[in-house]
Amino acid sequence: MSVPLNVLFWIVVIPGTVVLGLLACWIVRKVSALVQWRVGPPLFQPFYDVVKLMGKEILVPQEAQKAVFMAAPLVGMAGVLLLSIMLWRVAFVPAKPFVGDIIVAIYLMVLPSLALILGSSASASPHAAVGTSREMKLVMGYELSLVLALIVVIIKTGGTLNLAEIAQHTTVFSISNMLAFLVALLCVQAKLGFVPFDIAEAETEVASGVLMEYSGALLAVWKLAHAIMLVALPLFLVIVFLGGFDVTFLTMVFRGTFEPTLIMPLVWSICKYVLVLVLLILIKNTNPRVRIDQAMKFFWVYCGVALVAAIILATIGKNFGVSWL
Amino acid sequence: MDNILSITVFLPLIAGFVLLFLPNKMRYFFKGFTLIISVFVFARSIQIFRFGSPDYAWPIFQIDNLKLDLLLTARPLGAFILMFAMGFGLLITLYSLKSRATNSGARATNIYYGAILLTIGGSAGVLLSNHLLLLLIFWEIVTVSLYLLITTGGKNSNFAATKSFAMIGASDAAFLLGIAMVWVHSGTFVISDISLETTSAVSIIAFLLLMTAAVTKAGAMPLHTWLPTAGEYAPVSVMALLPAAIDKLLGIFLLVIIVKEIFILKSAALSVVLAIIGAATIIIAAMVAIVQHNIKKLLAYSAISQVGYMVLGIATMTPVGIAGAVFHMLNNAIYKCCLFLGTGAVEQATGTAEMDKLGGLGKKMPLTFATFLIAALSVSGIPPFNGFVSKWMVYQGVIKMGTESAVAGARLWPIWLIAAIFGSALTLAYSVKIIHSVFLSRLPSELKEVKEVSLPMKVPMVILALLCVFFGVFYLIPLERFIYPALGMEADAEILSTWASGLATILILIGIGLGVLVWLIGKLSRMVRIVPTWTCGEIQTNEQMTVPGTHFYKTVSSMGGLKQLYTGQEKGHFDTYNQGGRVGLALTGFLRWLHSGLLPMYLTWVTLGLLIILFIICRIW
Repeated sequence: MSVPLNVLFWIVVIPGTVVLGLLACWIVRKVSALVQWRVGPPLFQPFYDVVKLMGKEILVPQEAQKAVFMAAPLVGMAGVLLLSIMLWRVAFVPAKPFVGDIIVAIYLMVLPSLALILGSSASASPHAAVGTSREMKLVMGYELSLVLALIVVIIKTGGTLNLAEIAQHTTVFSISNMLAFLVALLCVQAKLGFVPFDIAEAETEVASGVLMEYSGALLAVWKLAHAIMLVALPLFLVIVFLGGFDVTFLTMVFRGTFEPTLIMPLVWSICKYVLVLVLLILIKNTNPRVRIDQAMKFFWVYCGVALVAAIILATIGKNFGVSWL
Repeated sequence: MDNILSITVFLPLIAGFVLLFLPNKMRYFFKGFTLIISVFVFARSIQIFRFGSPDYAWPIFQIDNLKLDLLLTARPLGAFILMFAMGFGLLITLYSLKSRATNSGARATNIYYGAILLTIGGSAGVLLSNHLLLLLIFWEIVTVSLYLLITTGGKNSNFAATKSFAMIGASDAAFLLGIAMVWVHSGTFVISDISLETTSAVSIIAFLLLMTAAVTKAGAMPLHTWLPTAGEYAPVSVMALLPAAIDKLLGIFLLVIIVKEIFILKSAALSVVLAIIGAATIIIAAMVAIVQHNIKKLLAYSAISQVGYMVLGIATMTPVGIAGAVFHMLNNAIYKCCLFLGTGAVEQATGTAEMDKLGGLGKKMPLTFATFLIAALSVSGIPPFNGFVSKWMVYQGVIKMGTESAVAGARLWPIWLIAAIFGSALTLAYSVKIIHSVFLSRLPSELKEVKEVSLPMKVPMVILALLCVFFGVFYLIPLERFIYPALGMEADAEILSTWASGLATILILIGIGLGVLVWLIGKLSRMVRIVPTWTCGEIQTNEQMTVPGTHFYKTVSSMGGLKQLYTGQEKGHFDTYNQGGRVGLALTGFLRWLHSGLLPMYLTWVTLGLLIILFIICRIW
């Protein structure tokens, strides 16, 4: 990547991710509305929401550990921002490894959940404490499945941990990869706190639990973090399971060469991202909330069994050179 | 005694031995004396590490080919671990100056400080010794001083001390047997001269025996149960010194020596055995840890669980895996020591280590909270702290073993990897549990007057927490300075995958800065207002609003299938000490039944015995 392009990357990537995230938020709300036979919000509604929240006063509970309570949303947002920068970098400059490999990516994905847990625990609210416990158990639940899914990918690509190499080498259309993708999609659903896994927030039971005591600008930061997660997590799925996000066309345009044959891969990549997003939204809108023990059992037992089967298939496929397994 | 190595070993040993027999009224003398000696030894260990030292040899006796020489040598691995072991000794001595755990039990001050010095000298001896029998003697000195230190914990601590001594002592017997077998096989006790191939049954058994001693000292399964019991009754500073730091250093040191120097592993089955021990230790201990109610006991289980990563890393037999294991040993000693010291501070300030009775201390003890939080995030492997880097190296070792080695055992790598990464999630779960129920959540009414602990207790915690951050962000420095040279690897070995910790930290800080910006814009428009907790309009007392962290993971412990395991564990069914005790009791019961004290009975036995002997001698058949 040339120097001006590098500079451009850094200038564009953070605001670009935020804008894309707010756009994804709008898509989520609009599609949900359409499913529920409503009109839905205007395009700029998520943006208005954040701006409005920033103008509200910040309430801090008397009993709270104030430093942690206030720092938590900032750390959470920083974590997802780092993750999304990392993933964009993989898309734009696949040749050069940047910041971390796939294991680093999994650990960075834990960061927002951890920040949420610590922040809600620090708020000293009983509702939030229930949310804390649920969120932690949810993390325990899906982490097992997510790692199993990644093991499938690592087997298929022959032991590489580099995200860009994984994107190039994985065989998208194989049984084990599809199984792994579906389970990882459900894990992302849980990470985003979407129905049926919105157990930690559960407005109707614990009054949005983990987020209960947050208000004003701090809540705005949480909303932004969530918006960025809507970009980063599907992007992660696209890169790891669906053959990568191809933006060669854009980098070529920046360099001044217009290569019309490269438009198709870009369009196709965007389609993959939208597909993941729409799948997430559809699952969100067609399922009731489960209990935490059901969610844990689902991830540990059902997803676990499916993925063990996928791992066995992938190993057989690798050893005997059958790529569709 | 002109050699720097012998001074480092024998000065604390002699001083400690003398302290044991001094009247315990001289408390201030003990403190000052121990501090001076530990500072001196620490300085010497740095000197040994930086400039090396000539070997030291002092023949003791020789009978035929059984030679016992006092051989001390500063090999790179030993010297680097020595420096950290002595550093931990110094920090704990400093911490003990004001810690109440030792002051209240004034009865045993001489034993406490004497045993600390014995531990320091004994571990220096283990790390520097080049003679297997001497290594065993120093190893025993550390075991005995652990016994003495646990007994200073007050009531019921004798039970814990006996249990620890019995279990470690049993593994030391295995150690002795293993050494004897190695000697028979190779004809020498000098570590640097031995290199056995594990091809014959004798050498494999010798390897397993030595391995048993190493993993028991480090606290891995299945002989791990002394650790939680000790955690419950021993003073916290003792837990921080021995099981959390020095025992790990020594155990893993011995394991690395066994695997890399004494034996040449030819049989893949042995590395699978190690990997099974490692993976099982990680998962089982972490699953038990998440349901504990006492901080000290929870941390003891956590200390067991973390050993699994080190054993697993060594089991991979790949450069990155072994380097990761040694690095994890170091990191684990740092943060686990910090966690135990933080627990000690909490216990001293509040008088309890039961999580049910604590809460909200983050406001009262901000510094303890901050250091504890950093250490807890490190143990959970959150980037960019140090625990992440070493775990990440172990994962890479596992993956490398699985994809590059053709051995049958390596095919099982997904199991080891899943155990390691899922274990990390469980670690996060119990860390969150402690953080919530001790430092966050709500402050109980009776703890309103709690004060932060004094400076000598804070300094060790702060140093350890800073080391956690430093070794995490600049992980290449400890790797290239200490670990690669210690393992004889190239300093610029390209064995790692990508983790630009410095860049990541900067980016995280930028992210936080952006968040602060959003927050400031919000704050400028309207001020922050402090309000009571929102309870949806209900009026509730502080106690009613407290959600204790102790029941966070009831969902897990009451899950079908796991429930039975948890109850069995609670009753001690899986405790090798209890089961061994049961077998021992049956055996003594049988012997007691034989010795009924009735003359006719004895006469019958004697006659029967005579008859049998007669039959055998005369070969009547």
